[in-house]
Amino acid sequence: MNNIRPDGDIFILLETDLNKGFRLVVERYSTRLYWHIRRLVILHEDADDALQNTFVNAWRNISGFRSESSLYTWLYAIATNEALALINRRARNAAVSLDDLGSFFANSIEGTTWFDGDEAQVKLQNAILQLPEKQRIVFNLKYYDDMTYEDMSKVLKTSVGALKASYHHAVKKIENFLSGH
Amino acid sequence: MKTNNKIPEGNPFKVPENYFEEVNRKIISASTGGSLPEKHRSARMPLRQYLAIAASVAVLALLSYTGIKLFPRHGESLSLKRIPSEMYSEELVNDIDLIVLEEKAISFDIPEEGQHVANQDIIDYLINENIDINDIYEQL
Repeated sequence: MNNIRPDGDIFILLETDLNKGFRLVVERYSTRLYWHIRRLVILHEDADDALQNTFVNAWRNISGFRSESSLYTWLYAIATNEALALINRRARNAAVSLDDLGSFFANSIEGTTWFDGDEAQVKLQNAILQLPEKQRIVFNLKYYDDMTYEDMSKVLKTSVGALKASYHHAVKKIENFLSGH
Repeated sequence: MKTNNKIPEGNPFKVPENYFEEVNRKIISASTGGSLPEKHRSARMPLRQYLAIAASVAVLALLSYTGIKLFPRHGESLSLKRIPSEMYSEELVNDIDLIVLEEKAISFDIPEEGQHVANQDIIDYLINENIDINDIYEQL
């Protein structure tokens, strides 16, 4: 886990003052969770919804959270589930099959207000959106969040070996996509 | 961010100004303040979800109704006594093939030789059963 301060201070505060402890959780994690969600759902409005739902769920379950577990991976798991739930709702409402979601989101990128990438960035996002859902998450967590495979294994409930293979395939596909376009 | 020469770096996504300060404030006041954000519960509920809820209610109502009809209430036993005899006798007999029933009855006929019992055997039987001797005499 890189660039993450130990959460010991949060655990102490959660035990002594739940409200203050949770405030610290939100302040420490909201930005990085937002970007994780945003890279999955693409639209800012959706990311905003999913982020708030993530913390609503975290608040509801924080009293049952065990300090032996990692707060970081626990929150990432909730955020990932919220993002995926939102993607599925979005696909149902737009009557888009899960296979066509990549193209659907690629079109969303070009129309969104809160996107300011150059041509290379647009191509990269389109390449990432062509990946299968799990590969996309693995790629984002590794490439952008620099998450260790061990932590990723806790977030996605998948073996480290499978995650490594998944990331390797994702990088190859993206490189091929970029060199072919 | 993990670097890769072939993959461009940077974050192309943007957020509105002061977004994180505002969303943090919103989340904290909604959670620790005791109320949850309402917009996530109702504002974007599509028609499909309303239909799903309506269908679930209908199924529950149907199951409740059939449950009441099929199963006895607490402390109430399910027995044939509660069904009028004229109703179930007709209903049940109608379901049996009478021809088959008749054939079965014929196959249970008492053998010919069983119908002839000697008088002495009858007297012995009645004596063994402690029947009054005068009654036996009258029967003979």
